[in-house]
Amino acid sequence: MGSDDWGSCSDNEDYLQDRNEDDDEEDCYSSGFLSKLQFRKDISKARWVDDLAMAEVVEKKGKMWVTMGIVRNGNTYCSIEETLFLIEIGALHVLDGNDIHLSLKELYEKLSNGKSGCYWELFEVYKHLRSLGYVVGRHGIPWSVKGQQIKSGTCSLEGSQESNEMLEMEPKDENSVIELFNNMQITDVSPAFNVYLPNSKFRKSSPGDPSFVLYISRCSPPSRVEIEALERKHGAIPFKFCHVENGHVSFFSFAKTELPVLP
Amino acid sequence: MKKRRSSSGVAGGGDRRFEKVLEEIMEGEVDDDGGRLKMKPRWKGKGSEAKASADPMSKIVSQLYSSLIRSVARGLLLSRNVLIEADAEVSYLFNRARFGRSRITSQEEKQWFQLDMEEAFYLCFSLECLKGIGKDGSIKSNKELWEYSKSEKPAFPISYKAYSHLRHKNWVVRSGLQYGVDFIAYRHLPALIHSEYAVLALSKGDNELNGRLRVWSDVHCTVRLCGSVAKTLLVLFVDSNSQGTSSPSCLEHYTVEEETITRWNPEQSREDQTSLRNQTK
Repeated sequence: MGSDDWGSCSDNEDYLQDRNEDDDEEDCYSSGFLSKLQFRKDISKARWVDDLAMAEVVEKKGKMWVTMGIVRNGNTYCSIEETLFLIEIGALHVLDGNDIHLSLKELYEKLSNGKSGCYWELFEVYKHLRSLGYVVGRHGIPWSVKGQQIKSGTCSLEGSQESNEMLEMEPKDENSVIELFNNMQITDVSPAFNVYLPNSKFRKSSPGDPSFVLYISRCSPPSRVEIEALERKHGAIPFKFCHVENGHVSFFSFAKTELPVLP
Repeated sequence: MKKRRSSSGVAGGGDRRFEKVLEEIMEGEVDDDGGRLKMKPRWKGKGSEAKASADPMSKIVSQLYSSLIRSVARGLLLSRNVLIEADAEVSYLFNRARFGRSRITSQEEKQWFQLDMEEAFYLCFSLECLKGIGKDGSIKSNKELWEYSKSEKPAFPISYKAYSHLRHKNWVVRSGLQYGVDFIAYRHLPALIHSEYAVLALSKGDNELNGRLRVWSDVHCTVRLCGSVAKTLLVLFVDSNSQGTSSPSCLEHYTVEEETITRWNPEQSREDQTSLRNQTK
């Protein structure tokens, strides 16, 4: 009656893989790994703009810019998490307004002051997925907008992400804007990222729908009521939750299902 | 996971069906990022699908029903169990339908079966082929049985609705205690990979009584445990729709929503780009 035998479970592999995952994380900081990354010949340059809480890219090197940074009026800007990630892997030098080199320490401090709409867990998740090759962008912030200067507060989390999207789009009639703001109150959780599979065909000008929308949970797992609201909100686009604790990032899917009626 | 091309030019309807089943299995293997699980059956071996159709659970349960009616079955209420004396035919059908556990006794002619509260109530109330006997020797009405069950297990309305929801769909439902969940649900015949569920029955609203998975460590723990025994975590959210629990007829107006909780591993999924894009919604 039922398969109780532990030996035959392929999912044991999954469990073992997790253990290897922990080992890999430790290896990340071993000298061998870092040496491959630290001494790149092609280091891009950016200037941190405090008003925007973003880094404006001044000199691009390498192919990563296809999937990194948002474009406004021809200029590329990096969020704090993108900036930190690139500095950590040695691919970016950041200067301040006076052309003085900003250290990693100073940028961690900028993260902690909260103006950049980012918090530590958001950065950890970003780094985790980016390191695996996924394309990750903040939900609600268009990758590329032509003919429009970047707005202050683009990255701010004070409003919901949708409010930024609204500001960037054509003006709509008052009713739909009000409706949009009302709908944003449904859940306490706001979506953090749009995630795309590692894909060399990604284009900022037409990214298409994300593979999934990612929510970062800091308190409790989502209730059924919250999941339902998100299912309505996102429709055909899948969403996932991730939980970050002690440097471990775990992803979960809460998916409505219906077991078939059997004969 | 590479898809195998099915061989062409094979004659015979049976072989073609086997190939189709094989393709389904191969498709099924790339389903799981946890987003939307495909529910296609994965049958072991040639002819199993046909065998299962010829021997459906609904028919077995129907046979059990007839047998219990014929034998005027009575079960003794003992704490959270119902004890039934069963003749050879009833014993056979209890086993086939996966109801209860047999108790080994020195008695040869009759076997004793021990049913859980949910199993017993299903036979008494949903199928009406069993009656419960109280400690005073009298037959209990369904209402009395309901009250009795609630007194033994305050969350009984929730767990029973979940149990009957799955049994109505002809799934086998057994106790999930060994796996740290409420129930295990699986298809009848034969054993299938990744088609077994570890089930938690929760109230949809906030209910102190039966709350599980309230903190992330519980989610981690339960999902990991389920995974290590090749089962998917299935949560059944039971909504009483404010009907209360005063009588078993309230159950009719309860609704059940099903939700799977699975862990997604970004290291694995990134290679399988096609599957993630093609996943069913």
